[in-house]
Amino acid sequence: MQLKDSNSKPSSSNAVDTIQEWLVNQIAKQLGINAQTIKVTEPLTRYGLDSIDSVTIVGELEDWLDAELPPTLLWDYPTIEKASQYLVNEAGVTPAETTNQTTEVTTKPQEAPKEKAWGGLWNKISGS
Amino acid sequence: MQPLKQYWIAEALEKDLGDPTNPNNVMSFKQVIDLDEREEFPHEIIDWLYNWKLQHYYIPTECGGEFTSFDEFIAFVRVLSRRDQTSAIAFTTMFWSYLTWMAGTDEQKRTLSSFMKDANGAMCLAYSEKAHGSDLLASDVRATKVPGGYILNGEKWPINRATISGVTFVLAKTDEAGGARSLSLFMVEKSKIDPANYTHLPKIYTHGIRGSDMSGIRFENCFVPESMRLGAEGVGLELALKGFQITRALCAAFSQGAADTALRTTLKFALGRQLYGKTVFDMPQPKRTLTDAFLDILICDCATIGVARGFNTMPEQISVWSAVVKYFVTTTLETVVQNVSVVLGSRFYMREEHDWGIFQKVLRDNAIISMFDGSTVVNLHALLLQLRQLTKSRARNAGRNQDTLQARLLATFDLTQSLPAFDGKKLELVNRGGDDVLQGLELALTSLSDLKTDSNLNSEVLQQIIQLTQMVQEELKTLDHQITESTFQFGHEQAPEVFDIAKQYCVLHAAASCVYMWLYNRHHLGDFFASGEWLALSLRKLLLTFRPAKALPARLGDEAVSQELVRLYSHNRMFSIVPFQLAQPQQQETTTDATQRLQLQA
Repeated sequence: MQLKDSNSKPSSSNAVDTIQEWLVNQIAKQLGINAQTIKVTEPLTRYGLDSIDSVTIVGELEDWLDAELPPTLLWDYPTIEKASQYLVNEAGVTPAETTNQTTEVTTKPQEAPKEKAWGGLWNKISGS
Repeated sequence: MQPLKQYWIAEALEKDLGDPTNPNNVMSFKQVIDLDEREEFPHEIIDWLYNWKLQHYYIPTECGGEFTSFDEFIAFVRVLSRRDQTSAIAFTTMFWSYLTWMAGTDEQKRTLSSFMKDANGAMCLAYSEKAHGSDLLASDVRATKVPGGYILNGEKWPINRATISGVTFVLAKTDEAGGARSLSLFMVEKSKIDPANYTHLPKIYTHGIRGSDMSGIRFENCFVPESMRLGAEGVGLELALKGFQITRALCAAFSQGAADTALRTTLKFALGRQLYGKTVFDMPQPKRTLTDAFLDILICDCATIGVARGFNTMPEQISVWSAVVKYFVTTTLETVVQNVSVVLGSRFYMREEHDWGIFQKVLRDNAIISMFDGSTVVNLHALLLQLRQLTKSRARNAGRNQDTLQARLLATFDLTQSLPAFDGKKLELVNRGGDDVLQGLELALTSLSDLKTDSNLNSEVLQQIIQLTQMVQEELKTLDHQITESTFQFGHEQAPEVFDIAKQYCVLHAAASCVYMWLYNRHHLGDFFASGEWLALSLRKLLLTFRPAKALPARLGDEAVSQELVRLYSHNRMFSIVPFQLAQPQQQETTTDATQRLQLQA
């Protein structure tokens, strides 16, 4: 597993919070639900994230953290809290530029796109 | 002898099975049609295959068998499937053994290997349940932990070979809490469980593959020892998905065999049938239809052989490659069978006329291939969920590590290269590192450009190959742009338009596979292959998915392709980029023992 450079490492509780916030926002956005309604202690399947989704979201998480993660991360740690704690405390992964990322992803939990699948893509293509 | 070693088994099997148009042979069209009419399981054929020791080629050498590579495997499955998909599918359920080769203990591997080799054993895959379709996690079958093992309860249906098999791979819930770790996989040996605790469900009558043992199995308080669990508790779903990556890719071989027979029997008709003073084949429209069918088979061949070899060279990318061929090859070849039916005319629908009515059987049998082991929708869904990551890796990898990319493409597509051993543990649930096949387009264009100095090549053909490959790259860029501009959405209610993007991705992947196959094998697959007309025509055909004909370069003449089709037919060779030798027609009837004939027809 690729570990992040530990210079400028934020405190681990801060890192856990940052990853949790990222996951909450990401999942809220992509499942089309309000971020406020997501509890980090609930299994993600409760929000409609199925087993295959859980594997593919790890890819987005890898990009953000710039680290190679086990694809079954969210199978083995099925709540946002458990997954974030595992990443920080056991895998030693910390998000780079924690503050900026936090600001960026938490500024505005996006409203769910009305159309399913990849948001406004089809409006752009069809010009409607 | 065929110079490529991976085709030796297919050729030897062909030779021993003999000409399928000789009714006395074991897998003759006459015999398989008779069995189909009676909806009988092909016991005699299956026994013949065991006696031939074909089952050894399903067992890796390190587990005591003869299996070495998937490209060898798909070649002999084509041989079976061109004669009878019912038998081919029945015999090939044995390939579920890969679950054990991947995840089993040494003891489980020994048990299964011996069961297959010494007891002529077969297995089935019990995943589906009546109420849940493709939703494996909704399993109602429970495995409740007790001392020394588990108690199985519940029903699996529909299952191919549920009744006529000795080992059942059962996916069952071991954790009531649910979730992706709630399933475990069991290799249930029927001989070692109490017959009072399980029953087989009645045969299901089907549209095609009528002789199949389509049935089901029900467990009632059935004790299975812990030694029958494959892998750790909770890894069932992961194993199931990785197992599907293997079998889905191999399903393409069933379709290839079917398409070969559909085209061959239609061509036989078109070459022999006189209308308006010439043969049907001499008329432009039927000839074009048959030539196009041949091109489709060649395209699918490049895609299938690429993924088969990719298991050895790039296992971490197979989650994508496997979904591509399971969707693209099976649906393309279904269309091929439909398309050529027009040339056969009303005979395509008749159950006796013309080659014992094999065409209508192929049409019916073949229709299940794109559905089983994960339907078209399931495969496209698996692919579309990965498209964003693929696009990102493509951007990230652009221009990097060109030498290693080139080396991997060479190892995958050059059929003379020996392959590294396949390691099932290297399969990944989602693609790692991008899709080499599409990543390599830039390299392919450089190699194509270098060929301009090759005086053996027709410059017009080469120019068109280059131009069309550039168009493939342009379409990939457009696709990547669309995907990047989008936001990703999870769930099972994806827009039909996203499915369309996944389909287009498959077409581009197939197109690139054709280009590499040509680049890396120009010197060892014969003159027809080397001259490249087939490639230019194939690329143009694939690009019709994206652009109207008038926006593409003018279609090259296809006389070389239609001549090759007839040449392969006349010499009894497989319709393939590697046209290996099929069984030759025998001296009709003269040497046949009358008693044997009676037995076969009884």
